[in-house]
Amino acid sequence: MRMFLYGFRNAFRNRMRLWVVAILIALPFFFFLLMQALGSAVSEHLDQLQRNVNNTLQLRASGSMGHVNMVGSDTMLLAEAVEKVRNVEHVVNVEPYALAMDPMEGGNFAIIVGLRPGDAKRLESHGEAGNPRIIAGRDLTQADVGQPMGLIGQRYAQWFNIDPKSFQETEITLDPRRSNNVIFPLPGNPQKIRIIGVYASGYVFGDLQLFIPLDIFREIYPTDGISWLFVTVDEARNVAAVERGIREALGDSADIIAPKSGAAFESSIAATLNRVVRGGIALTLSLAGIVIFFTMMIVAGERIREIGTLKALGASNRGIVAQFVAEAVALSAVGATLGFVFFTLLSGLVTRRVFTLTAAPFLPAEYRETLFESLNLSFGLSSPLLLLVLVTAFAVAVLGSSYAAWKIAHLSPVEALRDE
Amino acid sequence: MNKQNVERAFIELNNVMKEYRRGADIVVALDLEHLEIDARGLLGVIGPSGSGKSTLLHLLGAMDRPTRGTVVVAGQELEMLKPVELTRFRRETVGFVFQSFNLIPNLTAAENVALPMEFTGRPKEERRRRALELLEQVGLGHRAKHRPHELSGGEQQRVAIARALANDPRLILADEPTGNLDSQSGQMIYKLLKEIAGERLVIVVTHDLRLSERVDRVVELQDGRLISQEASTSRR
Repeated sequence: MRMFLYGFRNAFRNRMRLWVVAILIALPFFFFLLMQALGSAVSEHLDQLQRNVNNTLQLRASGSMGHVNMVGSDTMLLAEAVEKVRNVEHVVNVEPYALAMDPMEGGNFAIIVGLRPGDAKRLESHGEAGNPRIIAGRDLTQADVGQPMGLIGQRYAQWFNIDPKSFQETEITLDPRRSNNVIFPLPGNPQKIRIIGVYASGYVFGDLQLFIPLDIFREIYPTDGISWLFVTVDEARNVAAVERGIREALGDSADIIAPKSGAAFESSIAATLNRVVRGGIALTLSLAGIVIFFTMMIVAGERIREIGTLKALGASNRGIVAQFVAEAVALSAVGATLGFVFFTLLSGLVTRRVFTLTAAPFLPAEYRETLFESLNLSFGLSSPLLLLVLVTAFAVAVLGSSYAAWKIAHLSPVEALRDE
Repeated sequence: MNKQNVERAFIELNNVMKEYRRGADIVVALDLEHLEIDARGLLGVIGPSGSGKSTLLHLLGAMDRPTRGTVVVAGQELEMLKPVELTRFRRETVGFVFQSFNLIPNLTAAENVALPMEFTGRPKEERRRRALELLEQVGLGHRAKHRPHELSGGEQQRVAIARALANDPRLILADEPTGNLDSQSGQMIYKLLKEIAGERLVIVVTHDLRLSERVDRVVELQDGRLISQEASTSRR
């Protein structure tokens, strides 16, 4: 035990080296913690996706995308479908959406989504998990029913020069008469919508939407039909029975889509990210281990006569190795703690950069620029995280110093004292 | 060897040879046919550089093994001991004093002296008390809390001697203990070694013939061989 204490004290013998080594270890630990935070956020993202998708069905008018102004694909479900589906056994929630397309430059378009404030905000293609992260302002609430307010995707917000970083509520104008080659004009007048918040979904198409209250949508785009109807089933095992019930209630007027293909796609994205994160963690911890390895090799070289002296005085190899490893653990712990401080102070500034350089290159183009914003990253201090850091620091120190410790253990006292 | 022999010949070396490989050559560092040393007194080992003095000290202190032959110290045939037993032998039977003192720089004088006692598992209070006693004995009770860099060379060597005495070993091995000291400090160290040699065997390796005259007996080596062993003039 005493040798452990001497080992800890030894770590502080050379202050200059202590700080240099601590910083060299702190940097890999800093990146390790960043990777850990990214990994946790990705896992949470995936968990939410799976929770929300597995027991959800999407209904659209048969053979149609159901957008009110989409050329050749504007057939919608009848309003009565809501009540019919709600009465199907095992159905616990029904969320009607009305969708319109808003033309942008270069043939692109955004999707205007009318929904009941408080319902899940699901996204066009691959975004069925819904409820993207609000990055500025606030979400729609029940109090916004009947109010011309909207929550806008970050990419669509750019179109209106809305910057989430300096967000202030602002007004945009929706005009149902706008058209292009795939969007036909609808009668009606332009209406102002107050943008109360900006969200990030994680991919480009998902960020090109505007959520507004359903009643306001119907004022702008004259329709009482339903573009999409999301049906939540009480348990995933009852999804098939609900499908049969819906088929009986609506006949062939609706296509029933189990949004698992989108979920599977996002799962593959999450798996890619997890692989990158795991690789990053392995790399950073290896770097920390290499720093410990070389430091302890230098220490062993510098203290060779001291080690010989201890052996001559009757110290056991086990005691000398314990002292040596304790020094490595102390160095690693100081470095890891410093890395933790860096993490809590600096991670908010550099995580995006790290994500862009490490994970983004492995993602499909439509996710590369936007997925980061959708992750619910946490850089806070927590006991489990601190414990993880200390346990990791201990493991890195033991592994990193093991070769030098082995050499010390096998060093004869005479060799160690050769320069005496 | 019977009990009487063990008591009379505390150390006995028979046909001891130590060879080193230097490149393709084999160098004979020590080649002793027979040597016996009593259990008490101050023994000087003299000889020019490369004569095998330090090699002899290393063999006696169980720091190295002979290429062949037997080394018996305090009744223990060292080449028969396992590494763990050699460590215990060094801890309990031998105390080392080095030319460069070899104190642990970040420990105080008292902690340095207490260090060997930690290896034997003595209680903390006992270690502390004995360390202070030993420092008093070498005249450094007032320097107990000083670190090595705060002490003069002579003081550091006295701390090292106190450390060597910590576990009350029967054998003290001192390799050029005055080599890094001025003559006044050297005299003081020899006086101290002479004092402690009343109760145990102290073997001092030195090339300083003047100091070697203060020892009880002199063993002279040359080219690894024993060329003379006699009682010193001071003893006579």
